[in-house]
Order: sequence, then structure tokens, then C-alpha cells
Amino acid sequence: MAGLVPPGATAVPADVSHTAHTKHDEKTDYMNLPCPIPYEELHREALMSLKPETFEGLRFDFTKGLNQKFSLSHSVSMGPTEIPSQSAETIKIPTANYEFGANFIDPNLMLIGRVLTDGRLNARVKWDLTDNLTVKANAQLTNEPHMSHGMFNFDYKGKDFRSQFQMGNGALFGASYIQSVTPHLSLGGEVFWAGQHRKSGIGYAARYETDKMVGTGQVANTGIVALSYVQKVSDKVSLASDFMYNYLSRDATASVGYDYILRQCRLRGKIDSNGCTTSYLEERLNMGLNFILSAEIDHMKKDYKFGFGLTVG
Amino acid sequence: MGWRVAIDPAPKRSVVEVYPKSRRKTNQLLIMASRVSLKTKGKGGKGSKGSDEKSAAQCLKEWSTWAMKKAKVVTHYGFIPLVIIIGMNSEPKPQLYQLLSPV
Repeated sequence: MAGLVPPGATAVPADVSHTAHTKHDEKTDYMNLPCPIPYEELHREALMSLKPETFEGLRFDFTKGLNQKFSLSHSVSMGPTEIPSQSAETIKIPTANYEFGANFIDPNLMLIGRVLTDGRLNARVKWDLTDNLTVKANAQLTNEPHMSHGMFNFDYKGKDFRSQFQMGNGALFGASYIQSVTPHLSLGGEVFWAGQHRKSGIGYAARYETDKMVGTGQVANTGIVALSYVQKVSDKVSLASDFMYNYLSRDATASVGYDYILRQCRLRGKIDSNGCTTSYLEERLNMGLNFILSAEIDHMKKDYKFGFGLTVG
Repeated sequence: MGWRVAIDPAPKRSVVEVYPKSRRKTNQLLIMASRVSLKTKGKGGKGSKGSDEKSAAQCLKEWSTWAMKKAKVVTHYGFIPLVIIIGMNSEPKPQLYQLLSPV
């Protein structure tokens, strides 16, 4: 634009256009707000940093791609598995599992299926019917009667809002809505009704994000208040903290963690107010070969879990 | 415990008759029986009304339960084969041996 105006002819209009341009940057255009992130991913950054998938024992994952969209995965895991027990002690039983999975990932259709040796199937489907409407389905099917779960979600994405309707087995219905209010702030709410347990709930959430930080808060009438804050200190380091409080049962948990994303590895760690420290390391040994170390130490329950694994592909 | 039990062999309804040995236990038994009879009266009343009209809603519920059961079995056995079939037919078509070989 400066090239079009002959130099020295009129210096004032160029100045005015420059200041008008910066004024336009500062003034927010409320008709052009960005689309907010989905309601269930509100705490995404905090979850990624503070809740890595720790495991105990050996884990070996092999993913073989047959073409760009289709891949098969084989996964072996051996280690103690906790079973729920009435007493305060944790009871662990050594188990070994082989899991076969098939993934088909297309821009419009995503199908992921995983089946274990004991017959349990874990299926996820995501189908983009149009640019704005998406259907998602999620199912865990077992051979035991009455232990299977399924859930359907219908998502509609508007210009600066997202809405979702959920239906699940056991007469579970839910709906959620999230709207961008300013370029940084988005507010949303959800309702759900569980027919089988005759429970209903309503919740509200808010998310404030900038380039450097993300702060979220969520309140529900089931008594949960969840707040989180993630600060991106640099490209490689981010720090996160999380606070969960149940005002009905007067239970509070706070955790603080870090996430280092370095060239060859990703290290995540956190410490909890329940006396639990967790650490998760993914080291890239070679192209497509990752070595994983996981540790979870619970000083209160005296439960020590260490795991190691290898991921290929 | 001090109870004697006799079961009426009549086919239509099974009645458990209890002969308590003490008066206190007799009183307890009468109170329990009155509670149970009130409950069954209520249920009997509702039941007779409902069985007359096997309504469309009940039919629909039975059919939908049957359909969900069949859908669950179909999904359980057929989901992974479905994903494999869709994947093997996507472009560029992979070969069959690639499905089984570890390379």
C-alpha cells in the first residue's frame, strides 16, 4: 500500500491510514469471533500436561500402516492390574493382554476399533456429514451382559459457537453449548439426564485463552468445581496447575505439573495434594521408535507403579 | 428361631405359612402381613389394569430392546471386519499379504 502512494506527495493520509489500521486491530470485531473448542475439550491443555496415560508393567505397541488412511495396530501389555476392592488395600492381579486394532482415518470419516483377547471391543466412529454437522459414536462392548456402554454424539458447529447432543445407553441424554464471547473468552453450559440412576445435572464452564496462557473453570450441580491454569513459559516448557473441589462431599485436590517438549523427548510430571507424584517420559530413539517410561508413586496409599514400554510406528 | 413353616402345594399361588411359637412373634407376623397385603393389593390393582391394554408403547419398547440386542451383537462381531474391509478398499489399495505380514 505504501508503494501506491507516491512518496512525499501527501504524508498525512499515509499516517492516518496507518493509525486507522492499528485502531482496527485493537477494536474487536464481535461479528467475527473465532470458533471455540469443543465443550468436552475445555481442559485439554491441563489434561495433556497433568494426566498422562501412566501404566504399570510392560507395554509394547506396534502400528503398521498399510496406506495413508488405513493402519493396523498390535499391542501387548503385561503387568499387574488393579481390581476394585472393598478394603483400603489395593489388590493387584498380574494380567497379560494382546489387543488388536484397526484404524481408518479419512478427512470425513474416522473409524477406530480395538479388540482384546477377552472379547472386549472398543469402537469409535466420527463421521462428518457436512462441514458443520458431525456424528460421533463410542462403544465399549463386552461379552458379559449389562456391562456394555454406547454413546452417540451429534455436534453442530456454528460460526462462533458449538452445540452438542448426546444419547447413551441407560437412557443417558446430554446437551452442551459453548459460545465465543470475546476473541479470548468463551462461555458454555451443559445439561444431562441419566434415566437409569434418575439423576440430572447442569453445569457451566468458562475458558479464557491467550497465546501464553489458558485458564478454565467449570462448575456443576453434582458438586464439582474444577479450575485449571496452564502457562506456556516458552516453546518447550509449559507449566500447569489444577484444582478440583467437590462442595457436596468437601473433597479437594490440587495438582501442579510441568510439560517439557524437547527435540528428542517429552517429559511430563506432576505432584498432587493427595501425596501422589507422576512422571511420564517419551523418548524418541529413532524415526518411529519411541521408548516410554512411566512412574506413579502414591505415598499415602503406598502404591508404587512403574512401567516401561516401546512404541513402534 | 422358633418358627414352623408349611408350604401350600396349590399350583396357582405359593403361600408360605408360618406358625410362630411366641405371642410377640405372632404380633410381628401380623404387622408384616398387613404391610405385605397392602403392597400386593396396590400392585394387583395396577397389574390388572396394565395387562388389559398391551399398549403400542409396550410393544415399541420390546421391539426396540430386541433391536438393540441384535445391534450390539452385530457391532461386537462386525465392527473390526467392517473397518478392515473399508480400509482394504481405500486408495491406494493395499495387498492382502500386507494385512498379515509384520513388515
